[in-house]
Amino acid sequence: MSQPRSWRGKAGRTMETQERRWIGRDLKRREDPALVTGKARFTNDVSLPGMLHAAVLRSPHAHARILSIDADAARELPGVHAVLTGRDALELIDPVPCFAAEPVEERAIAVEKVRYNGEAVVAVAADSRYVAEDALGRVRVEWETLEPVADAEAAMEPGAPLVHENLDSNVVYDQTFTFGDVEGDFARADRVIRRRLRWPRAAPAPMEPSGAVCAYDSAAGRMDVWSNTNMLNFVAWTIAGTLKMPPHRVNFHPMYTGGSFGSKHVLGKQVAIAGALSKATGRPVKFMEDRADNLMANDSQGPERVYDAELAVTDEGDLLSLRLHTVDDYGAYFMFAITGNTNMMAQISGPYTISSVETGIKAVLTNKNQQTVFRGAGSDVGNWVLERLVDAAANELGLDGIELRRKNFIQPDQFPYKIPTGNVYDSGNYPAVLELALGHADLDHWRAEQERARAEGRYIGIGIATAQQRSTYFSTEFWFHNPAPATGLTTSPESVRIGIGPTGGLTVTMFSPFWGNSPETVVSQVVAEEFGVDPEEVAVDYDSTMHGLPSAGPGGSRMTVMLSGAVRGAAAKVKKKMFDIAAHLLEASPDDLELADGRVWVKGFPVEERSLSIADIGMKAYWHKLELPEGMEGGLEGSYTYDHPYASMPSDDRTDLGAFYPIMGHACHVAVVEVDAETGRVEFLKYLAAHDVGTVVNPRSLQGQIRGGIAQGIGIALYEEVRYGPEGENLSASLDEYLLPGAPDVPRVEVLHHETPSPFTEYGVKGGGEGGRMVAPPAVTRAVEDALSPLGVKIGALPITPEKILTLTQGREA
Amino acid sequence: MKPPSFRYFAARSADEAVGLLAEHGAGARVLAGGQSLVQEMNARRVAPEVLVDVNPAAELAFVRQENGTLSIGALTRTSQVESDATLDGSLTGLREAAARVGHVAVRNRGTVGGNLAHADPAANLPPVMLALDAEVVARGSGGDRSISAANFFLGPHRTALAPAELLTEVRLPLPPEGAGSAFIEVSRRDRGWGIAGAAAVVALDREGGISDARIGLSGVGPTAVRARPAEEVVIGERPSAELWKAAAGAAAAALDAPPSDVHASGRYRRHLAGVLVARALAAAADRAERRN
Repeated sequence: MSQPRSWRGKAGRTMETQERRWIGRDLKRREDPALVTGKARFTNDVSLPGMLHAAVLRSPHAHARILSIDADAARELPGVHAVLTGRDALELIDPVPCFAAEPVEERAIAVEKVRYNGEAVVAVAADSRYVAEDALGRVRVEWETLEPVADAEAAMEPGAPLVHENLDSNVVYDQTFTFGDVEGDFARADRVIRRRLRWPRAAPAPMEPSGAVCAYDSAAGRMDVWSNTNMLNFVAWTIAGTLKMPPHRVNFHPMYTGGSFGSKHVLGKQVAIAGALSKATGRPVKFMEDRADNLMANDSQGPERVYDAELAVTDEGDLLSLRLHTVDDYGAYFMFAITGNTNMMAQISGPYTISSVETGIKAVLTNKNQQTVFRGAGSDVGNWVLERLVDAAANELGLDGIELRRKNFIQPDQFPYKIPTGNVYDSGNYPAVLELALGHADLDHWRAEQERARAEGRYIGIGIATAQQRSTYFSTEFWFHNPAPATGLTTSPESVRIGIGPTGGLTVTMFSPFWGNSPETVVSQVVAEEFGVDPEEVAVDYDSTMHGLPSAGPGGSRMTVMLSGAVRGAAAKVKKKMFDIAAHLLEASPDDLELADGRVWVKGFPVEERSLSIADIGMKAYWHKLELPEGMEGGLEGSYTYDHPYASMPSDDRTDLGAFYPIMGHACHVAVVEVDAETGRVEFLKYLAAHDVGTVVNPRSLQGQIRGGIAQGIGIALYEEVRYGPEGENLSASLDEYLLPGAPDVPRVEVLHHETPSPFTEYGVKGGGEGGRMVAPPAVTRAVEDALSPLGVKIGALPITPEKILTLTQGREA
Repeated sequence: MKPPSFRYFAARSADEAVGLLAEHGAGARVLAGGQSLVQEMNARRVAPEVLVDVNPAAELAFVRQENGTLSIGALTRTSQVESDATLDGSLTGLREAAARVGHVAVRNRGTVGGNLAHADPAANLPPVMLALDAEVVARGSGGDRSISAANFFLGPHRTALAPAELLTEVRLPLPPEGAGSAFIEVSRRDRGWGIAGAAAVVALDREGGISDARIGLSGVGPTAVRARPAEEVVIGERPSAELWKAAAGAAAAALDAPPSDVHASGRYRRHLAGVLVARALAAAADRAERRN
């Protein structure tokens, strides 16, 4: 199979030209009333009769062997019902799900040794969380401390202590991918721009930590799980394996999720702790992480990468080729393998016509909480690295950064455009997005301000980034980095069911839970569009795994695309049956009917007597069997499983990864900052974001997504970093140490939209969930660097803290 | 993040609180706004056996100016100081410091007495009290005694209060006519714990010379400290950018090993102390000039 295979979604390539009534309308989010009045039911709101509360004893050491655990005093405390060590739990639970081919085993409660500061050692179930925490204070652990592997560089040294003794080395993955004629392009280049760039470890830190309530019923052999784990109808069955349960006897209930940012895809560990304790006690058990649990041990930290990055350019400013070699600190486990690095291969060459790419990845295990995926999933890092190189190229070539970008953009007539890695960009208009941004940026004004400020000894800087926001992943991303895939997964589905009741009420059921975005708003707008009803009339619900249909759930900016496709597919089925019933009753051909304003009409006869309302048809479908066409099933519902609209397989030699993230958005951000060169504080004077994510379904909710993402992008640029000390001790286990930007730290953001509809998705929708966070870091970095350019400052590491700014400015003086 | 069990007593008056503290000994702690203590308890870094809640003791919440003295009751919420316009003029710096104690929800609960008695080295009010020459009133079973701010702070979260004493109020002499004050802080975020802060009070004579200057610093040592070497540089001189710069240098040089943490090194804190001293002096002198 050397040639990639392609296919298209059922409805195929449709450029929507018809007038739309609901898609694109700026409607209030229907999720909000429940959220802002405290009525939404989160995992921690679940309370069951007889429910116990769990707490976890966490390792004070980064790397240590457990010699013995004395938990007798904890067990004797009144109100304590179970105390489980890792060894006790072996009978109850298996290792937590790991999607890597490499043999890296993680258990919810450590058995022989701990591999990071904060790893679970003992779990307790008690009458209250208070008593459970009291019990933890009575546990005595005898440790043999081991030399910690506190950073990736130390971990790679020969003779370094091993995080996992079954591996020969802490370098768990080491591959270089070459796409196109990298050597030739570098040989042709007039100049090579080189930078060493460091991206800091971050934590998603959502408002709501992760957790689960598990209720084991030994008589029925069944477990019920209420958890904010997200990929219910995709991979929750693997968590059933951890629970040592047959998947069809574990029911995961969909819960409202208070933010995830990638941290709640698969909460194997949290469910396993509650599940093991429920099995041990025969009672429902709640385990909710508190803030310290979440920051120390959530298994969702972001990449921590050092890049040796090279960009081959000509003197005229042609960007030819890219060489990126990274050492990435994965922490103690390897749940999603190198997904964060494969993800960025979807858009590694950005919006530019770079013709070849080499990317080397060394994934290193250390004594830290593990890295999985955090909003942007590695493509955030890729954008920052590429835009740093482009800015550096502009400086070194003496060219204007905007001109350099414009010169190298992929042009609108070049789509679909295949980039060197094999991924395909479906559509785009990068010059138009840039012009839209520049039209509102008022750069002449800000450049004059900059001059004026410099004369007064103040430092104003302008940063511009033009970068990609890939959306709608395909599952080859999870395994194509491995020459011998364990699964070869080629599906990434999303399903809905649409039902019309006897009185005409429309109900839509989703099989992925609410994760903080706007799935109910999106779904009701699309259903309204399809049936000609008001979105307010549509009821939206979620269903559990026992009643589930294939749904991969949120992640990789896909839900608006996938739900639109699924709704359209299900609506087509329901409408077909409505037309069949109506045709029978109206004595017309189904082909002569049309659905408008909530009624089925005979085309060309706009008289009410010759039409049927949705309710008329619903009533017939449920209550009037003998009036239905001969042999027709009763009821009126349809479900549809939509899969990726445009994807292809990787080539066997992996010189072509196939189309795996083709629904490509784009954005241009403009940041203007003032830097206080005496204190190192950064203040925003302006922030502008122009995005193109195809057809916009709801401008209001998209703007919220973009603004929230920008807040997180500013976080990584200026504030956020998970820090570990020389002994591997976690120095960021509270929100006093792990600094999230607060409302006053985030500027007012002007959001602009350009719409280039995708030719491959329903309505031309693209995903926009991660773009804010993926594009803000390079814009902010450049703005700070530009401000300090009179001092010769170059920025190669985030976050840019006040002290770092001082060090950089003083470095110039020294 | 749940505290171990404790016993709770509500005190309806300062005397009742003092009685309860005496009765329960060293295991008892005073609960005022709870903005620091409760967090510490939840993290199980402290585990008092008894909490004496002084919130019902309304007599402890007041701001009074009489006979050239400002008195602030210990239970006065930080937000009350922040919004008290009668403190404008020479005490603007006190309002500025109060306005930067965390976010509004924290200031609505947190108290002046709590901010001082908790004695966090990075807290805002201690350096202001040093600069304003305040004294703290402590009530024990033997009655009241006053402790000068300079002698009150002993170390991180350590004060001169005896275990059974209650901080009831803070008193400070109103600065002379023609004085100005300012508080400036640098924190990583717009609000939240400061890396370092400086409070300055500057009094000008009729000729515009500096007749008196007092400076307090936070975040640069185990307690808030007076920056006396910087004060000596400026007293008797006329305000100028060069003078502030000289004061900054003197203040930074005199610090004894400022602490390092995840947010900043001691080296950066020392640098910042100088910058803040210069800015606080400039702002205080500017206000003083405008009042003259």
